[in-house]
Amino acid sequence: MFKKVLIANRGEIAVRVIRTLKEMGVQSAAVYSEADRSCLHVRMADEAVCIGPAMARESYLNIAAVISAAKLTGAEAVHPGYGFLAENAGFSEACAKNGMVFIGPSPKSIRLLGHKTAARKMAVKAGIPITPGTMDCVSKNCGPEAEKIGYPIMIKAAAGGGGKGIRIVREKSQLVHELQMAQSEAGAAFGNDEVYLEKYIETPRHIEVQFVRDSHGSTAAFPERDCSIQRRHQKLLEESPSPAVNQALRKKLEEAGLSLAEAAGYVGVGTVEFLLDKDGNFYFMEVNTRLQVEHPVTEFITGADLVREQLLAAAGEKISFANGRSVAFTGHAIEHRVNAEDFTRNFAPSVGRVEEWLLPGGPGVRVDTHVYQGYSLPIYYDSMLAKLIIWGRDRDLAVARSARALDEFRVSGIKTTLDAHRLIVENENFRAGRTDTGFMERLLAPADSADRLVGVQAGRPS
Amino acid sequence: MDVKTLSKLTKWMETTDLEEITWKDGEGKISLKLNNQPEHHAALSSTLIPVSSPSIGIFRFSRPGKTNTLKEGASVKKDQELGAVEVGKDHKPVPAPADGFLKIISVEEGKPVEYGQPLFFIEPR
Repeated sequence: MFKKVLIANRGEIAVRVIRTLKEMGVQSAAVYSEADRSCLHVRMADEAVCIGPAMARESYLNIAAVISAAKLTGAEAVHPGYGFLAENAGFSEACAKNGMVFIGPSPKSIRLLGHKTAARKMAVKAGIPITPGTMDCVSKNCGPEAEKIGYPIMIKAAAGGGGKGIRIVREKSQLVHELQMAQSEAGAAFGNDEVYLEKYIETPRHIEVQFVRDSHGSTAAFPERDCSIQRRHQKLLEESPSPAVNQALRKKLEEAGLSLAEAAGYVGVGTVEFLLDKDGNFYFMEVNTRLQVEHPVTEFITGADLVREQLLAAAGEKISFANGRSVAFTGHAIEHRVNAEDFTRNFAPSVGRVEEWLLPGGPGVRVDTHVYQGYSLPIYYDSMLAKLIIWGRDRDLAVARSARALDEFRVSGIKTTLDAHRLIVENENFRAGRTDTGFMERLLAPADSADRLVGVQAGRPS
Repeated sequence: MDVKTLSKLTKWMETTDLEEITWKDGEGKISLKLNNQPEHHAALSSTLIPVSSPSIGIFRFSRPGKTNTLKEGASVKKDQELGAVEVGKDHKPVPAPADGFLKIISVEEGKPVEYGQPLFFIEPR
């Protein structure tokens, strides 16, 4: 096992990684930008170095600076977290070139599976159904290809993830404009403006399977996560297992995930994403070659520590699940992403200083956060404040516990999405497990939504 | 006053309930003021201008092939290259922010430095 690991990230995921490192007796080295001097991960790590000014491009995305920090601290391995350089094959290569282990899959795996059109090709080869669409990236003259697929279509970033660089096109006349928008968003978010086209499946469920594979050939698949509750393609709430998946379907999804991991010779943890349509057909969408934000729901129902599994796989050791291909689980878990966004103003980012910060607790309650009372939110990075993860012996108990925990969670000084989550857990369709990717739009759409907001706020004195 | 002494003074201050001290000697005046933010860092206010590292990396006084002649007390001109920080394949220059005298050199050849770390202190002319 490594003696020292550098975390090339910030915020809650850096805190998450440091926690497992401490448990495993591994020294942790943190990096921070000038704007993050008072970020929690800096205080928690055994040592920390400043790598640049506030702009991510000059700090957390600055490969030379991160490598320099790893050398300076003598780290043998680098954990990239999620976002930033986590799926950057160039960074994975730079680590190898400089004698450090990148805690993630090889540059080859990242290129093969991280590039969306390459992954689609692999899926076809492995016999997994894929969403109808182009097998290659498209140019601005993709009208004929779009026609062939049939509107409505989706334009998606080939190097993408996290819901960015995605546009829906319902009519031919919108294609050129939406294509330009998607390309420029993709270029800004991923440094790569390549896009491809997929058929837009109306309000499917978003189902994903977590897998882990080591260099000894052991593979394990975890029960699926349902991440259908999204706003503008960004996940807001995730749960595991999915209320729409029975054991038979679970087996099929896990098999598909594992065969793809094996075909790619993948070492590490990854996630295969599928769309599930209303008729129960599933389609491969993409692979995420990193640890995901919503990994805690899987940890809660299986007792796994996925960061630990990443470290074991990266160090060439055996993962903890070498004996089974399908990991057993118990109960139900739900994760609520608490972001610094104003729910009443179309989720506009909220900035400021966290005045009151009272976290829920008790049985089956976990909070992953880097925020503390008095913390001033930097404006340069994403708006995630905390993840509230709930476990219950079944889904109904978990939902009731979510409602209880959301009620205990008190924040002032900034606006958060807590009220949005409170609305979700009271919703009849959510309680019945009837969710799909159109859920949030319908929840927020009704004409009397302003009244409903007032109702929610009046009922909850802060 | 050198950086080591300043650092000792700051640490001592934090153990007292002093909020502000001023040190005057033949060379000049330094005021140290502790702010009451959770971080407990001393805010240094003096006539000296710090020259901060433009990057994380390894500090070099001179470019390959050239020799360094900088010593404390030397006269420097604005934008004069005092050294460079090696990061990856890049050499990020460290220019003097103003005309003046190189009062303190607080870095050593070949040592790793962090972004924003004070490398020199210049007494402006």
